[in-house]
Amino acid sequence: MKIVTIDPITRLEGHGKISIFLDNKGDVENAYLQIPELRGFERFAEGRRAEDMPQITSRICGVCPVAHHFASAKTLDDAFNVQPPSAAKKLRELMYMGYFIYDHILHFYYLGGPDFIVGPDAPASQRNILGVIEKAGVEIGKEVIKHRAYGQKITAILGGKATHPVCGLPGGVSKGLNKDEVKDIEKMTKSCIDFAKFSLKLFDDIVLKNKDYVKLITSDPYQLNTYNMGVVDEKNKVNFYDGKIRVTNQKGDEHLKFDVKDYYNIIAEHVEEWSYMKFPYLKDIGWKGLSDGKDSGIYRVGPLGRLNASEGMATSLADKEYKKMFETLGGRPVNSTLAFHWARLIELLYATERAMELVKDSEITSQKIRNPVGEPGEGFGVTEAARGTLIHHYKLDKDGLIDKANLIVATTNNAGAITMSVRDAAKGVISKGKIDDGILNKVEMAFRAYDPCFACATHTLPGGMPLQADVYNQNKKLLKTIKQNTVEV
Amino acid sequence: MKKTIILGIGNPILRDDGVGIHVADELKKQIDDPNVKIDSAFTGGMNLLDMIIGHDRAILIDAVKIRDKKSGEVNMFKLGELSAFHTANPHDLSLPQAIEMAKRLGETRIPDEIKLVGINLGELPCDFGENLSPEIKNAVPKAVELVKEEVKKNYE
Repeated sequence: MKIVTIDPITRLEGHGKISIFLDNKGDVENAYLQIPELRGFERFAEGRRAEDMPQITSRICGVCPVAHHFASAKTLDDAFNVQPPSAAKKLRELMYMGYFIYDHILHFYYLGGPDFIVGPDAPASQRNILGVIEKAGVEIGKEVIKHRAYGQKITAILGGKATHPVCGLPGGVSKGLNKDEVKDIEKMTKSCIDFAKFSLKLFDDIVLKNKDYVKLITSDPYQLNTYNMGVVDEKNKVNFYDGKIRVTNQKGDEHLKFDVKDYYNIIAEHVEEWSYMKFPYLKDIGWKGLSDGKDSGIYRVGPLGRLNASEGMATSLADKEYKKMFETLGGRPVNSTLAFHWARLIELLYATERAMELVKDSEITSQKIRNPVGEPGEGFGVTEAARGTLIHHYKLDKDGLIDKANLIVATTNNAGAITMSVRDAAKGVISKGKIDDGILNKVEMAFRAYDPCFACATHTLPGGMPLQADVYNQNKKLLKTIKQNTVEV
Repeated sequence: MKKTIILGIGNPILRDDGVGIHVADELKKQIDDPNVKIDSAFTGGMNLLDMIIGHDRAILIDAVKIRDKKSGEVNMFKLGELSAFHTANPHDLSLPQAIEMAKRLGETRIPDEIKLVGINLGELPCDFGENLSPEIKNAVPKAVELVKEEVKKNYE
């Protein structure tokens, strides 16, 4: 058996495998993304004190601790029949903006951006942050580090530790802000707004002014015509922290708008025998296999899903950029998977502008930050994690212990779409058995755009083991395997 | 005197994956030294870098999976000996990458010595829980001793 090893998917850790099957001409017959699943979170949660859930769920995976933390805190608000005071909601949302700032910067500059800034065909050893620094310069590198750290610091000021937030409680938060902290956050936020604007300009200069990149973005292998989903405010503008869940169709019109309480009437999960991942779909449309179009219930979440599922951004600069993106790419919805990167930067700008609104709000230093809880019951909560819609649902017993817990995480919501994107990209870029590092990178790009986080999608081991790609010939004989590390975990 | 940071790395609710944190907790009971800071981390390369910056040396304790080594075996490695250090964060850089990047940007406060005490897992944990398997639990004292010996070098 001939096994070729290609240095791989260093920016795509997680615990997954892409299997690519070639036909007798060497073209792609099919490609699957397989993710081993760790089960048992729901069981692990049972019997625990409900108020511990924001801490416990923030440890499911190191990527979105803040998203889990607040999806959980909101679920507890609901389960204990309490509304947090308005100041507490604002403090939570401000912290949430800090999380979006560092998370989106990290993805664009470290993980997704190298494909564009350094180039999709550049050697793997250069398609990383070091290559970005090489190309863009040390000064820009320093700005990237600085602003990512600002996002972390804003989160840490509000939440205790950035990676282990401890502030979210049923009915509010445990810690307010003092005037010095407000000043500090305001200063960092101002700098972050400028950096977000700079990032969009960089995207404009490097990506949009490069005809080859625009061609790549709009090329067939990267298009997916699914439904889109995201949380919106009462004006149908994107909201990360709170609102109704809106689904738009292939024409960009509203298909559904629902409260998270109704999620199990709207979303069902399909199981495939070759994957541990569940594939959510819209119940009213139904499961029609891994296909797109109006008859298939598969939807997309995450930056592009959110922008497609909304009617704009709630802040002025981001809204202008929102309009520009849809004008440039032919109107809403945009179906190009690679436009996720653009959408992510528009969201970065929104997060910085929204953070400024919140930190300047006179209520932000209020000390009325928690309301007393009521009797325990059932609760539902939704937030937009950086990578998409995140739903928590708990049933509490009379003593306030967890009786049942169910989570639908962002990458699970995207499972069908990611699988199709990988398949379509493989079909589009591999032909006549010719596979090299640059070609496989273009398959990975389809995957990377979603910024998937398989750690919690499969409730699995966070990180370490890189994605592996296996290529098989028509006799199902393994031709190539991509794997690099001898050390895993 | 060298300023040392000891970091237990892992996911505290993912059974054997959290072994580094168990070792760090034990070390906290046994080491009382103003030049030694002991902490735990469930995070990726960029945040790990922030945590070790400013120290003369760093000792990281983590679960590893190395082919040809037995489950529960404890080994010490230098940074660079392994192709990947655990990043608890699938959306992040590995620690060696983060360090290389920081050096490229002119960072001078990176520890001169970075070592990893790796506890080898035969099987990757596949469900949630706070307890270690017996085999990995037995490895904790070995890892503790190895770290303590390393710390003693401060005084040689």
